This record gives sequence, structure tokens and C-alpha cells, in this order.
Amino acid sequence: MPKNYEIIEHTADIGIRVKGGSLKALFQNAGLSLFELSSRKQFTKNKKHINIPIKQKANNTEDLFINWLNELLSLSSARGVIFHNIKIDKLQDNSLEALCTGSSLENYKINIEIKAATYHGLKIEEGKGGWQAEVILDV
Amino acid sequence: MSNACQLEKIDDFRWRIPRSYKSGMRVPGIIYADEKLLKDIREDKALEQVANVAFLPGIVNASLAMPDIHWGYGFPIGGVAATDPEAGGVISPGGVGFDINCGVRMLRTNLEYEDVKVRLKELVYALFSDIPSGVGSKGDISVSVKEEEEILVKGAQWAVNKGFGTQDDLDCTEENGAMHGADPREVSDRAYQRGKAQSGTLGSGNHFLEVQVIDQLYDSKIYDALNLSLGQVTLMIHSGSRGLGYQICEDYTRSMVNCLNKYNINIPDRQLACAPVNSEEGRKYLSAMKCAANYAWANRQCLMHLTRTVFESIFKTSWQKLGMFLIYDVAHNIAKIEKYNINGQEKKLCVHRKGATRSFGPGQHGIPDKYKNIGQPVIIPGDMGRNSYLLVGTEKAMEETFGSCCHGAGRVKSRTAALRTINQDTLLKELESQGIIVKASGRGTIVEEAPQAYKDVNDVVRVVHNAGIAKRVCRMRPLGVIKG
Repeated sequence: MPKNYEIIEHTADIGIRVKGGSLKALFQNAGLSLFELSSRKQFTKNKKHINIPIKQKANNTEDLFINWLNELLSLSSARGVIFHNIKIDKLQDNSLEALCTGSSLENYKINIEIKAATYHGLKIEEGKGGWQAEVILDV
Repeated sequence: MSNACQLEKIDDFRWRIPRSYKSGMRVPGIIYADEKLLKDIREDKALEQVANVAFLPGIVNASLAMPDIHWGYGFPIGGVAATDPEAGGVISPGGVGFDINCGVRMLRTNLEYEDVKVRLKELVYALFSDIPSGVGSKGDISVSVKEEEEILVKGAQWAVNKGFGTQDDLDCTEENGAMHGADPREVSDRAYQRGKAQSGTLGSGNHFLEVQVIDQLYDSKIYDALNLSLGQVTLMIHSGSRGLGYQICEDYTRSMVNCLNKYNINIPDRQLACAPVNSEEGRKYLSAMKCAANYAWANRQCLMHLTRTVFESIFKTSWQKLGMFLIYDVAHNIAKIEKYNINGQEKKLCVHRKGATRSFGPGQHGIPDKYKNIGQPVIIPGDMGRNSYLLVGTEKAMEETFGSCCHGAGRVKSRTAALRTINQDTLLKELESQGIIVKASGRGTIVEEAPQAYKDVNDVVRVVHNAGIAKRVCRMRPLGVIKG
């Protein structure tokens, strides 16, 4: 399956450029890209699926995008889960509701620790083929 | 900007970005670098970030950058900015970073290179096995919720109370291993969750533990005072506040983005989100940041304890007999309220050090009595193939850089470029041929952290030494490296 994101060069950290046919798809792809980038499934030590609903609010789409990515990273770290499926139920300019499914961190080999998504150089744009975002991740 | 920017040369080691570069800059930018380092610095967006930091309300004198400066997010890495709370000065979580109190400590030993050389592999493998490292690693040092609160307030003292060190260790730690005013009530439940079980863990990425040997000495008065000599084995531990710090930075960046309108703050990058130091939001962040700083000091204290235990087991004698005493522990991602003389007036300023080390000179308040005559030890780690340095702070740093200097070599090549261009097996063989053994947890970590990805720390340190903002004491080269 082709990746929905590409790496942008950054001296200390990692930037990603993500695409999506709709804003919902953009949020979904950006969320999944965090885990595709940072981990690789290697084991099935723990078969249990973990479902976590996420609700986020913000002042605007950009803030919502950053809050969303950081909430995923934060939950992943706090609960020891790697998300592999994201369903965004509702998305408006300033709110989001999603159901995220993942499995235990034990099943994965971690490539890199993403500490957070940052506002630095953040771009979210609608173009001809859909939506595109650029974001710098602190690693 | 970087290539186009016409920097003004102040002297051989300082360059100015004039206020006229961008409308909104309240002070100029000043970069400590020589011509050679400046070539790399111009390659990314770090100089633009120095200019952006100059927008911060209440910033005093200049937005400063050290010679290891490189492109970060919001602040450049290697950035220093002091703000005056009495003049509406702000505090910015982005000026500290996600890894609050990322820092480094250095230990001496009585061991000589020849003692370690024959057992190096055994030693490196034992350290790698006994010191939890890697993403999400959990420590054997388990703590209850109540104890976690205690860590946030007492810092390294908590670890010493548990038997993981001595009072002498605390005396040789910046802030004695705990900042006063840490308030665990300002730390979110999520931050607690992320920090839980990570005490005594190294972490990942550029965090490391290194066995080193002194290969060059500079100032006899100072190295004699520190009881250091050529061929002596030393240790360096680089780690931070792990998930707890990341979450505190995120929580407060989120809240301070909302402060920008409230306090009518105009900044060109929202990762510089900030609030007045004297506002409710500013005070809360500072209290929470101190909790993460204290957690990091407890963490490095635990890591040192585990290291001492491994050495005891390998060399079959106590760490005291091995002379494994802490030289010093410094924070290089932190904000602190410190006193400076500004135009003849003493002012309490909020000094942000984002990838910068405190470099207090002789006689300064806040440095251990035993270092009062020589200045505080300044520990500068390099990359895993070249060198690291021990320096001391200077009076000139107090006058020019709010008592600050560089924090490391500074990256020059992105992680992706490193992965693309460097072969891990070749690199490991090269390092082994230099007598360096490396063990790492993360896939790709060794290549991402390859010497080629960093500036030469010798160039960086030469600039801070020649500029007079720190003084070289000795240089080490790596023998064994444990990476996260």
C-alpha cells in the first residue's frame, strides 16, 4: 500500500508531508503516519485489541490538528499502545471525535520516539487533489 | 533567510542579526560562531529562529545562539533568551523544549585506560543489560503515586533517600538536584501516567551513557583541583525527564497558545507560545516545569546508581574505592530565574536555555563551594566517535550570555539523511577500529547518531573557549557507548 506521507528533511527532528482526499482523511492519515514512522509490527505477544475514543476541541483547524496528533502520541505513551486503525466520526473546524484501535507496544519494534507534534512550520492546505499538511515532529 | 542574511561581524566569534532584519524584533540576535561553523549554521533555518525569538515580550539585550546552534522548533537548539518579568517578560515552554531538564552528568573514576581496555566489552554489555534504555523503557526502580509526587518535589534527594547515592552527589548537581517551587498540583494526570515507571531509564535517541578516557588536558590549576589526569577513565550520562516532561510541555504550550490573544502577544511562530512570567499561566508553567526538572535529576541520579552498581560487580570492589565520584550534573533544557546586572541595575530575569548549558563563573551564587574558585564545571558531550569536553564557567559568560554556553556538538545532518548515507555495519567497524564499542536499543539509532551527523565538537568548544564564555579543562574520547 502506498504511504500517505513523506519525510521532510529537518536537521534535528523529522518533518512529514501528509495527504488526504478530504480533511477527515488528512487527519486520519496524519494520525496513522505517526505510528508507521515510529514503529514496526514484529511480534504477536499480546493479541488484545484496544479501542480508545478521542474527543478534541480547539480554536481552529490548525490547533485541532496539533492537539489531535499530540493526543494520539500522549495516549500511545501513557497506555503503551500503538494505533493501527483510526476512524474519525465527526470533524468540524474546532472539534473532532474519533475511535482509535491499536494493540500493545509489546508487539512492536520501535524505530524512533516521537515526543510531540509542533506548530513550527505547520501548513494545512486544500488543493486540487484534496488536502495536504506539513508538520515538524520533535524526536 | 539563512543564506541571504547579511550578518554583521562583531568580532572573530560573534555575529549580529540586526533588529532591522524583521519588523517586530525587539532586540538583535547574536550568534557565537567562527567562519567555519557559520557555513553549516547558514544551511538550515536556525538563524531565522534566532530572529523569531527576538520578538518575545520583555527580552533583554539579545536573542543569543551558541556555536552548536541548529534548526529546532520555535527556539533554535543552542538558543538562550532572558526576559525581564518586571517589563512584561514572558516564559515560553518552547524555550525549554519537550525534554525538560535534558542534561548531562560526568563522573570521575580511579581507573586508568589499561584497567578498562581489557574488560571493555564485558563492561559495555553489562551496562547495556542493566540500564533500561529505549523508547518507553521501564525501570526496575518502581515508585508509588505518592512517591512520584515526592520525586517531583525532592528530585535527586528522593533517590539519595532511597539509598541511590550520597549527599556529596547532591552538592555536585545543579540546583542540588531539585528546584524550589515545584508544585505537583500543576502537573496533569496524563503527565503522571507518562512518567510512571520511567525513573532510572535512559530513554532513546541522542541519550546515552559513555565510558570515556581523558586524552587531553588544558588548564593545570583546574584539572588538578578536580583531581583529573591524562588516561583517567570518566563516565558521562545524558538523559532527561522522559514522558513526564514531554506532556508538561505539551499541556502548557496548548494553554499558552490561547494566551497569545489574551495578552496581545505577537510572535511569528506559535511554537514560541508564551505568557508573562508574572501571569497565572506563567507561574503555573514554571511550577510544573520545575517538577519535570526535578524528575530528570532523580532519573540521572538513579542512572548513576545503576552505573556504579555495574562497575562494582565487574571490578569486584565498591564504587567509592573505584573513585566514582560525581564531578557535576548540568541541565541544558531549562528556564530559571537568575539575577544579572543590566546597565548597572540588578535584575531578576527569566533565562531560557534551549540546548544551552549554564556556565557560571568563579564566585557566583548557586555553584558548589568546592568549585567557587574555579567556576562551575560545564559538561559538553560530543558524538560517539569523536570527543567530549569538560570546561568551567567564566565571568565573561555572566557579562555576555546570561551565564550560558553551548550544550554539545549540534546536529548538522538530518536523521533521514544519516540513514540514507551511512551504513551501520561499516560505521560499527570503523568505531571498533578506533577502540569504541557501541550498543543501542533502537533500530537505526546508531546510524542516526553517527559522528558524521554532528558538527565536530572540537570546533564548537574552541569557539566558546576563545570567545571566553567557558574555559577548557580536559577532553575525553569515547571507549564504550550505550545508546537508547
